[in-house]
Amino acid sequence: MKIGIISVAHMHAVGYMYVLQGMPNVDIVGIADEDRSRAEPWAKQFNLPLYSSYQELLEQELDAVIVTSENAKHHEHVIAAARAGKHVLCEKPLSTNLEDAQEMIDVCERSGVYLGTAFPVRFSTPVAAAKKAIESGQIGEILAIKGTNHGFIPEGWFTDPALSGGGAVMDHTVHLADLMRWFMETEVKKVYAEYDSRFSDNPIDDCGIVTLEFENGAFATIDCSWSRTKAYPTWGDVTMEIIGTEGILHVDAFGQKINVYSDKVGVKWDPWGDNMDEGLLRNFLDHIGQGKPPLVTGVDGLRATEAALAAYRSFEEKRTVVLR
Amino acid sequence: MQHILLIGAGSMATVHAFSYLSLSKIKLVGIVDPNSEKAEPLAQMTGVPAFVTLEEALDKLEQVDIVDVCVPTFLHKEYVLKAALHGKHVICEKPLAGNLADAQEMIDFCNYRKVKLFVAHVVRFFPEYEKVKAHLDSGSIGQVGVVRMSRVGKMPAGHQDWYSNPDLSGGVVMDLSIHDIDFLRWCFGDVERVYAKGLRGREWNTKQLDYGLVTLRFRNGVIAHVEGSWAHEEFVTTFEFAGSEGIVDYDSSKDKPLDLKRRESSEAGGGVFVPLSTVEPNPYARELQHFIECIETGADPRVTAEDGFKAVEVVLAALQSMDSGQPVTLGERE
Repeated sequence: MKIGIISVAHMHAVGYMYVLQGMPNVDIVGIADEDRSRAEPWAKQFNLPLYSSYQELLEQELDAVIVTSENAKHHEHVIAAARAGKHVLCEKPLSTNLEDAQEMIDVCERSGVYLGTAFPVRFSTPVAAAKKAIESGQIGEILAIKGTNHGFIPEGWFTDPALSGGGAVMDHTVHLADLMRWFMETEVKKVYAEYDSRFSDNPIDDCGIVTLEFENGAFATIDCSWSRTKAYPTWGDVTMEIIGTEGILHVDAFGQKINVYSDKVGVKWDPWGDNMDEGLLRNFLDHIGQGKPPLVTGVDGLRATEAALAAYRSFEEKRTVVLR
Repeated sequence: MQHILLIGAGSMATVHAFSYLSLSKIKLVGIVDPNSEKAEPLAQMTGVPAFVTLEEALDKLEQVDIVDVCVPTFLHKEYVLKAALHGKHVICEKPLAGNLADAQEMIDFCNYRKVKLFVAHVVRFFPEYEKVKAHLDSGSIGQVGVVRMSRVGKMPAGHQDWYSNPDLSGGVVMDLSIHDIDFLRWCFGDVERVYAKGLRGREWNTKQLDYGLVTLRFRNGVIAHVEGSWAHEEFVTTFEFAGSEGIVDYDSSKDKPLDLKRRESSEAGGGVFVPLSTVEPNPYARELQHFIECIETGADPRVTAEDGFKAVEVVLAALQSMDSGQPVTLGERE
C-alpha cells in the first residue's frame, strides 16, 4: 500500500512514519510540505522524496494520504486528497469549524474515499480493554466520567489561533470527547467550559475544565489543560474515572510505565506500553484495504470538534450550549 | 481549663471525644444524645456522664464553657442556638447549616449572645493540606492555573440513614465536597462562578450512590475541579495544584504512611469514614485545640463562622447549577 504524508507541521507525522516504515507491504511515497526547512530533516532521516506542494505529491501513485498539517489547513488538504481519489487519515482535530468538517466528510463520500480521524487513544490497550469491560456490563450503566488530558504547552503554530483554531480546549477536549462517545455510544448534548490563559504569556487558552452532558443522561468533565511543568515526569496523559451503577473503572492510557530516578536523565516515567499509533494505522490501512470505513471516521472527528467548539461558545456566552 | 459538653455520640463525636481526652487544659465533662443507648457507651469509654438533653446537662454539670455540636447537619441550628442562649461558646461540625438563612441566624445569634462560633472545617488542619497551602504562599509553583480536588468513598450509614436523604444531608457535595471547597476558599479567596453536575435528582441518586463534579472559578482567576463521591468502595482523597512553575500533588491511596488490610473484607456500611492521620496530635485534636486557644487569647480562628457560611453558599450555588443546568455567579443566587 502506497502512502503519502501531507505536511510534518504536526509532530505526530514523525511517529506515524516510524510505524509505517516498519509495516510490511507499506511504502511511504513521499512527504509534501510547503515549509521545506521543517520537513527536510525528516525526509532525509526516512530517506523519502520531499515535495514542496501537496498537489505534486497527490499526482504520485498513492492509495492513501495522512494529513498532519496545521489544523486550519486540514480542510484544504483533505479535500484535495479526496478529489485526487486518495483515502485520507486526518490528524485531530478534524477541522477548526463545523462547516469545513462537514464539507470534508461530504467530498470524501462523493469521491468514493474513506476519511478517518486520527484518535489513536482508542487503540491504547488499556482504553480498548476498558471499552470491552464496559460492553460486557462489568460496571453496569455509566453515570459519570471524570477525564483528564493534560499536556505540556506546545510550541509554534499550536498557539496561533489562526492555524490551530484554539488552544488547550481545541487540542485536548477532542480526545476524551471521542472516547466518551465511543464508550457510551451516545452523543454530546450539552457543553459548558471554564478556561483561561494562566500558564504562559501567550493569550491563547492553555487550561480549562469542560463539562459535558450526554444524550444518555451521563455527565462528564474533561481537564484539557496544558498544565504540565518542565519538571513533571509525564510522557502523556489520558485518564478516566468511570462511575457505573455496578462499579468503577479507572483507565490510565499512559499508565504502562516504570519510574526512573536518574542523576543523569532526571525523574522520568519510562513507557513500556504498546504503540497506539500502530493500532490506529493498522486499523485504517486494513479497513480501507478491505473496502470498509476505519474505526474512527470523519463523523467521529466532526462530533468531537463540535464539543470543543461548543466549549468555547459556552464560556463566551457564560451559559450551557445545547447541541441537540 | 475549658470544660466541654459534647452533643452527639456518633462517629465524629467519638473522634472529638477522644481528641479532648488527649489534650491538656481541656476537660470533657459530658455527652448529650437523645438516644441514651448511643450516648452511654461513649460516656463510659470516656468516663463522663451521659445526658438526654442539653438543658439537663447544663442543669446538672458544675461548669460548661464550650458546647461542641457533632450531630447530623439538620440538627445543628437547634443545638447551636440553645448553647448560645446559655452563653456557651460553640464548636459546630461542618456544614454549618443546610441553608443560608439558618447559617445566618446561627451567626447572628452567637454574635448577639457574645459567644464564639467555630465551624469544624478540619481539612485546614490536615498537615498535607497545610503543606500545599505553604507551597502556594511561598510561590514555589508560580501562578496557580488549575486545581483538582477529590474526596471519594462509600455513602456513610448515619443515624436513620440521614446521609442518603438529600433534604437532610444536602447530598455528597454539601456533606463531603464542602471540605475541599472550604480549603480552596482558604487558598484562593472568594468564588466568582460555579458550574456543577451530579446525580442529585437523577434516577440513580438512590440510597447507595451520590456523585458530583463541581467546577469553581475564583475571583483571582483560578479554575478548580472538585470531585465528591459516595460511589466508591475505598475512602481516598487526592489533590493536584498545577501552577506556571510547578505542580504539587497528593494521593492518599498511594502516599500511605500506614496501611492495614485484614484478610477478610470487613462489613459494608459503618459510620462516616474518619480519615485518621499518623501525625500526633491528630488533625481533629489540633483543630479543637486551636479553637480553644482562640477562645482563651481572643485571636481570630483559622476558619471563621463567616467561612462556614461561605462554604455553604458555594455548595448551594453548585446544587442550583445542577438543578438549572447553568453556571451560577455568586451574589446572583436566587
